[in-house]
Amino acid sequence: MFTSIFEQLRSKESFGKKIRVLFYDRTFRNLLVQMIFSILMIMFLWYLVSRALELDLGFSHLRSRAGFGLSHTFLIDYTSNDSRWQAYFAGIINTIRVSIVGILLATLLGVIMGLARLSKNFLISKIAAGYVEFIRNTPLLVQIIFWQLVLLQLPQISNAITFGGLSVWSNRGILLPFINSVENGSLWFLVLLISLIFCLFIRSYLNKIREENTNFFSPNLISLFIFFGIGIIFYFILGIDLYSDIPTLEVNQYGTYIQSGGFLLSPEFAAILFALVIYTGTFITEIVRGSIQSLPKGQTEAALALGLSSYQRITLIILPQALRSIIPPLTNQYLNLTKNSSLSVAIAYPDVFMVSRTIMNNAGHALPMLFLILITFLGLSLFISLFMNFLNRRVTRIGA
Amino acid sequence: MFYLRNKLVVISMLLMSVLIFAACSEETVVETVVEVPVEKESTLTTILDRGELVCGVNDNLTGFGVVNSAGEFEGFDIDFCKAVAAAILGDSSKVEYVPLTASARFEALAAEEIDLLIRNTTWTASRDRDLGNDFTAATFYDGQGMMVKASSGYDSIESMTGSTVCVLQGTTTELNLDDRFTSAGIPYTPLTFETNDPLQAAYEEGRCDGWTTDKSGLASKRAGFDNPDDHVVLAETLSKEPLGPLTRDNDSEFYDVVQWVVFGMMQAEESGITSANVAAMAADPADPGMARLLGVGFDGGEATDFSFGIPLDFMQNVISQVGNYGEVYDEHLVPLGLTREGSLNAQWTEGGLIYAPPFR
Repeated sequence: MFTSIFEQLRSKESFGKKIRVLFYDRTFRNLLVQMIFSILMIMFLWYLVSRALELDLGFSHLRSRAGFGLSHTFLIDYTSNDSRWQAYFAGIINTIRVSIVGILLATLLGVIMGLARLSKNFLISKIAAGYVEFIRNTPLLVQIIFWQLVLLQLPQISNAITFGGLSVWSNRGILLPFINSVENGSLWFLVLLISLIFCLFIRSYLNKIREENTNFFSPNLISLFIFFGIGIIFYFILGIDLYSDIPTLEVNQYGTYIQSGGFLLSPEFAAILFALVIYTGTFITEIVRGSIQSLPKGQTEAALALGLSSYQRITLIILPQALRSIIPPLTNQYLNLTKNSSLSVAIAYPDVFMVSRTIMNNAGHALPMLFLILITFLGLSLFISLFMNFLNRRVTRIGA
Repeated sequence: MFYLRNKLVVISMLLMSVLIFAACSEETVVETVVEVPVEKESTLTTILDRGELVCGVNDNLTGFGVVNSAGEFEGFDIDFCKAVAAAILGDSSKVEYVPLTASARFEALAAEEIDLLIRNTTWTASRDRDLGNDFTAATFYDGQGMMVKASSGYDSIESMTGSTVCVLQGTTTELNLDDRFTSAGIPYTPLTFETNDPLQAAYEEGRCDGWTTDKSGLASKRAGFDNPDDHVVLAETLSKEPLGPLTRDNDSEFYDVVQWVVFGMMQAEESGITSANVAAMAADPADPGMARLLGVGFDGGEATDFSFGIPLDFMQNVISQVGNYGEVYDEHLVPLGLTREGSLNAQWTEGGLIYAPPFR
């Protein structure tokens, strides 16, 4: 392709003519543009690298004592005497916590509202439509601050509502009665959660065997048995001692109200959770509605013709088919929810971004810290994508 | 042919977007760089060329830096911005104020978004070392305090066992709070906010038992409440908090100007020069020291040249347009109940720490 260019250059035309001819040559022009583009890119990258190399990109400052407390810690015991790494880690756990609970609740809300939007009942479908249009078109940050201010309107702790001593509701948080263990409670809960996922896998595997061998035992019973088996074994291994954890509210000798026990839903966690769930729920609603509407109407009619109840129609015919087109855009929404959780910096919920900002303020090194935050969120997002891709493969396989 | 033209358009658009991207990215890179000392022209030259001082301030702290009902910035810190502008440009109104949050202020200074940071900022060793800035002088000796509701019955930090305390995120206040409670073994929960407004809402609604920040800040916030008497500031002081203006690292010309404007205002008070009598004093200085401060000759002699890179009589502009240290203090801080007598902010001659090195 260069031969034409070289021929032009070797010809005995005048210099100006050569240039003119060259410039009208498409290959040459493309080459020129690409070269300018490449040179600019290389210069830009070189500039970035050279600037970055001047900085101290180390993370040694994260080994120092943190020196600040965190209002929310979950699963791990963090005190201000721990290192900044541990504070950062506590922040990651807070982010993961609000993301996981948020994803579960947003999905639930989205599916219910998505079905409601398609309801033939005028009131129900209009309420769902109103919810979507109102929430989707207002900024998330404003909603987060709104929820925080709403939750602050709960009674002050001196006038807390106690529901006959079962629960404590105040703007310091909502304490719900809870079943807890004297020790290893959260560890046992984690074991139960993992064995639940494990048993779901076993169940689907056994179901496959059963399709070939109809005399096989009920997969439901077997997996249920395994689940309870693991639960009971670990109950004794971990020395679980269950008791009902009823929240209490006491006043110490100085007049401070001290709430303890139970399951605490703090106003900050609740505000960021509500805002994320309700906001992301609107997008999931639209995804569910769109996916269901994209199914041929014949599917619904066939289900009706077979005499399936409306519950059977939705759970056996509509949703399994709609899931194929729901999951890919749903993954996007899960990623958005996780990333948006960093907005909690506005309302005193110590997520990973807020903890890092505190560290940056105390110790500088802003660029390495921002890198670390980016990598942390990248890791979380990739993990969610991985899980959702796995789910997607399973869903698309069914009935294919 | 049509196809070719299309392609060219696409390519040129790509090229343009790359250029724009490169331009934007360069800016962001500069913004995030905090610790690089790069040789560049002095901030003093920049200000003289621009004809305006860009000052990073607080816009939400009554008495120190706040936007008044006329939409103008006013306060103790604001007056020092005005004083520096008066010294360099001869006009105290040539200031652009940039309101900053506590957590954004150092990055704004390092990124050259502002020339000078006067935002009730505490002078500490690690900030001086790590954050790419230099503290010029202490304009106000503050200390961290704790405000609680009068109805709560708290009378000391020790009595706040199990309490929740609201505090600004990423401040020395947050670290001092933890030092105080942890060293005394008092359990507490810190609730950290990025800005003051949600913090104040949380405190007023009873989400937290106490609000801790510098005592000056507490006095200012308390004065702004509907019923100031419902709130008390505990007597205990949790920390030393010298507040003052900051310049960038390695910017000694501008650093010197800011530092000596502050000292000049302190010296003016000590020498009895006020905005009312500065003209008369400059025309006929009472002693050689006063003549050096005001940049005039004594008894018909030549003026002593300090060579700060600005006109010799800069202190005349500062004092006539803004006032001496005592005038600025009385105007903004006394109304908050922050009296000077017996405090660290009295002149050294009266047992305080306000002390200007000699002007010679």
